[in-house]
Amino acid sequence: MTALLEIENVTVSFDGFKALNDLNFAMNEGELRVIIGPNGAGKTTFLDVITGKVQPTTGQARFQGKDLKKQAEHTIARLGIGRKFQTPRVYLNLTPRENLELSCNRDKNVFATLFKKTPTAEKRTVGGLLETIGLDHKADVPAALLSHGEKQWLEIGMLVAQSPDLLLVDEPVAGLTDEETEQTGNLLISLAQSHSIIVIEHDMEFVRQIARQVTVLHEGSVLCEGTMDEVQNDPRVIEVYLGQETHVTPEQMLLLRIAATMAWADNNFDPVQQAVILERLSQQFSSDSEERAQLKADLNNLLGKNIPLEELVPQLTTDAQREQALMLSYEVISSNQINPIEARLYQQLVTLLGLPPETVSRLEAAALENLPS
Amino acid sequence: MATETAMRPRQEIKAQQSQQRKLEIIGIIAFVVLMAVVLPLLLSGFRLGLLGRFLSLAIVALGIDLIWGFTGLLSLGHGIFFALGGYAFAMFLQLNSLGEGQIPEFFGLYGVDTLPWFWGPFASLPFTLLAIFILPAIVAGLLGYLVFRNRIRGVYFSILTQAALVVFFNLFNGQQKWINGTNGLKTDTSVFFGQQVGSESMQMTFYLITVAVLVVMYLLCRWLTSGRFGRLLVAIRDDENRVRFSGYDPTGFKVLVFAVSGAIAGIAGALYTVQSGIVSPQFMDIAFSIEMVIWVAVGGRATLVGAILGALLVNWARALLSESFPEVWLFFQGALFLLVVTALPDGLVGWCRQQAPQQVRSLISKPEPLLTYPQIELDPDIQKERQEIGDRGA
Repeated sequence: MTALLEIENVTVSFDGFKALNDLNFAMNEGELRVIIGPNGAGKTTFLDVITGKVQPTTGQARFQGKDLKKQAEHTIARLGIGRKFQTPRVYLNLTPRENLELSCNRDKNVFATLFKKTPTAEKRTVGGLLETIGLDHKADVPAALLSHGEKQWLEIGMLVAQSPDLLLVDEPVAGLTDEETEQTGNLLISLAQSHSIIVIEHDMEFVRQIARQVTVLHEGSVLCEGTMDEVQNDPRVIEVYLGQETHVTPEQMLLLRIAATMAWADNNFDPVQQAVILERLSQQFSSDSEERAQLKADLNNLLGKNIPLEELVPQLTTDAQREQALMLSYEVISSNQINPIEARLYQQLVTLLGLPPETVSRLEAAALENLPS
Repeated sequence: MATETAMRPRQEIKAQQSQQRKLEIIGIIAFVVLMAVVLPLLLSGFRLGLLGRFLSLAIVALGIDLIWGFTGLLSLGHGIFFALGGYAFAMFLQLNSLGEGQIPEFFGLYGVDTLPWFWGPFASLPFTLLAIFILPAIVAGLLGYLVFRNRIRGVYFSILTQAALVVFFNLFNGQQKWINGTNGLKTDTSVFFGQQVGSESMQMTFYLITVAVLVVMYLLCRWLTSGRFGRLLVAIRDDENRVRFSGYDPTGFKVLVFAVSGAIAGIAGALYTVQSGIVSPQFMDIAFSIEMVIWVAVGGRATLVGAILGALLVNWARALLSESFPEVWLFFQGALFLLVVTALPDGLVGWCRQQAPQQVRSLISKPEPLLTYPQIELDPDIQKERQEIGDRGA
């Protein structure tokens, strides 16, 4: 496979501040890549460099082998790179149909736009797109009357209407409801069948839904790349997300995630359960209450839910770790009312761990002692 | 079933559009009949002359509306293009009234005995008729290209156009040996097709031409602002950067539309000149160019009818007021601008389209009762659901 997009040693500095610092990135045709990273990691600047909004100070960006440096935004767009902005940017005074028709237009010269009529084929494409993004019944009202989510979809539709080879999608689910988020995820997954896509996102739940390959940016460079699981277990990632020195080892992180899965079992990460996990974490991190509050928010995002235990448990290597996992999990679920779902999951964990029954009961008792009454 | 419900509103919209088109054609015909047949019978020669001038100002207003109302470029320098058109026509008329080997009289005052080189081509009528709109279009195109290519927008664009206006004003005002400086060029005693331009029959001809040109310019602007090109102009106004990322280069579109607007102003300037009898650097007064913008604001931005209406109403009010209370006009103009900005942000036409029907109804009778919240009545989602429920019930 040939590389669709190559970024080589790109640095972008604004008055000495390096928004991107010697960044290297490559992506193949047909890939769906998610880019995550804490605020200020340079995610949006990264898109700006690709789309020509910002010129790299040094380094090279190539798309399908063509150099993107010193190309105007509209030339890059015509090469086949479409971009969706962080806040939905649609033309509010035009209807969704007109919005899509403008993007769909193949010949974007001044005079072609003025004299040529919209071809029937384009009209049909627009009609089909309106159905795909679920706006066919609102096709002829001004886009200003659409809801936030509908505007997001309209903008994704405009992107597709351009029929680009590469879609750049900046935070598509910011401000959407859970249901809309899931629909957006499905939309992107179905688009990925025929397009290469780069998605930038904060919402870890959403990332988990769509991600195959994840790239983590930090301080303007690529921190690591890999599958979602690899990335989430990488202590460096945890470190930059939590923004502190950490001594959490991958093994310890695994334990935390098993416990988090327990807590998530009933789709309700109870504050009490969270407190227990954070209590454990505070042994590795600071004990300062403000920092802990910060941790709570970050963890909530990072840990994700519904990770199958069958995948996590075999990664535990020693008996000591297994015992720790059991104890922590028991602590977590008993920290509030144990409900049937949690109990079932816990039973599954016990079976998977395969510890002797007497050890299990000993650990459970110890865990209960640990709990504050 | 689903496609049928999706198609129905589309057909309704099409039917509505064709009905609107019919209404528009009837409106244009009524306007032409009123201006070209009824008013010449009713109004005195003096009043008709005024109306003719105001109609030419309405043509500039169309040009301003094209770039400001639709494309979002606020030009405060349209006096340049207006004056260029006027000068082009006046120069031709001056040369046309001379005998063989003569040069216009005023040159004698400054000791010039040969015609400056740039006057030469203006002896030809075809060249002049082209120059009236091509010259301003070229100036506007060049100015626009330099400004838009460097992505200068908003207030900076307005300031630059005003600066250009000052430059042109000083150029024309100071060059007595070229174009009679501050005195301008008189046209009413000059000869056109064997008749004096100031004569009543000639003035009537120019009046009728102005009405015709106004209609043609209206149709031109209508064509430009409907369809894909017009929608792109609106898109540029609303979010120019987004347009770039959709693969369009806004520079070309803006240059073209600015040049067209300049050309329209040039034609208006020529018609205004022959009907007022003189062109002078006063056409490039800063206040005059700002007034042009006010007409459009009063009538309603992004509505072509509004631009015409605004220009006619404001100028008519000005003529009436300054006849009876000469000193009041400027206060009135200030008040008018304040009123438009605070109470009628969409101008008269925008107000008529949106709020007026309800307000008038509430004045003369009870307002129409709403069965539910207005938003629910209008929400397409709810309409669609109602329709589906209705279908299922039947």
